[in-house]
Amino acid sequence: MAETMDEKIKNYRTAPFDARFPNTNQTRNCFQNYLDFHRCNKALSTKGQDVSPCQWYQRVYKSLCPMGWVAKWDDQIENGSFPGKI
Amino acid sequence: MAHQAHAMLYSVDPSPSPLTGAVAALLMTSGLAISMHFHTTTLMSLGLVLLLLTMYQSSRDIIREGTFQGHHTPPVQKGLRYGMILFITSEVFFFLGFFSAFYHSSLAPTPELGGCSPPTGITTLNPFEVPLLNTAVLLASGVTVTSAHHSIMEGQRKQAIQSLTLTILLGFYFTALQAMEYYEAPFTIADGVYGSTFFVATGFHGLHVIIGSTFFAICLLRQAQYHFTSDHHFGFEAAASYSHSCLMSYDSSFTSLFTDEAS
Repeated sequence: MAETMDEKIKNYRTAPFDARFPNTNQTRNCFQNYLDFHRCNKALSTKGQDVSPCQWYQRVYKSLCPMGWVAKWDDQIENGSFPGKI
Repeated sequence: MAHQAHAMLYSVDPSPSPLTGAVAALLMTSGLAISMHFHTTTLMSLGLVLLLLTMYQSSRDIIREGTFQGHHTPPVQKGLRYGMILFITSEVFFFLGFFSAFYHSSLAPTPELGGCSPPTGITTLNPFEVPLLNTAVLLASGVTVTSAHHSIMEGQRKQAIQSLTLTILLGFYFTALQAMEYYEAPFTIADGVYGSTFFVATGFHGLHVIIGSTFFAICLLRQAQYHFTSDHHFGFEAAASYSHSCLMSYDSSFTSLFTDEAS
């Protein structure tokens, strides 16, 4: 049990440093990855390709973004009021 | 020598205008707040009446002191010039605040706006339609006011009156066009930070154009009544400086607020 826990902890990864967002305020990092995930999905699925490359963006935004923001944006996308360009 | 220089200055007689002006400001500001909570414009209207009375009386007093009593000697005029320059400088900084508000929100647009500027959902005005016409109107008024100034300096009474009248008419034309733009605009002051910064900046600018037109109207009345001489017409020069700075503020608005790709 302890071994698997140690192994798990050793294998933990999080969103890497992104030089586009070097400062403490990471809002834009979160928002950009959220947008990129949805744009990636839209672009690949219109071409009929596999959308698994888009998972990276999802993992990044799920690590960085407050859950409340993600929930709010998901609701907005559902009812068509999301202000970002996807 | 020092005594002589001092004799060319004068002390104004006590006047109620500073007090009435301050009370008017108090009534208008508190009246504005009251009108938003209790839907009654009484207090604000009272303040406005008091402001108009103060403006009328204080300018009448200054004209009496300068034109009729001869108190505006060269050193006094110099002081008045410094005063006007300082006031106009403060107005420039007043507008800089609104420009910085616009740039603060447009250069780094938040996710709530869609991360883009102009924000999602805002249909901007085409800068090459009415805004460009308005720029041309104000620039033309700059030409006519310079012409009026030269006519005054040359002692050409009739031409001065004509140029000054044309200047005022151009000011009214600007105000009418801007009022129409406000009515027809696809967004309001309530439409996010874009609407707020747009209407507050252009609104204060429009108010200043109205003030400038009023100032020129007073100058026109005075010119018609032979108050100005070819050497001494500071009231007119003050109005012209004020309006020129107003024009500069519109030109800056034009390049920043009205363009579609706002940064």
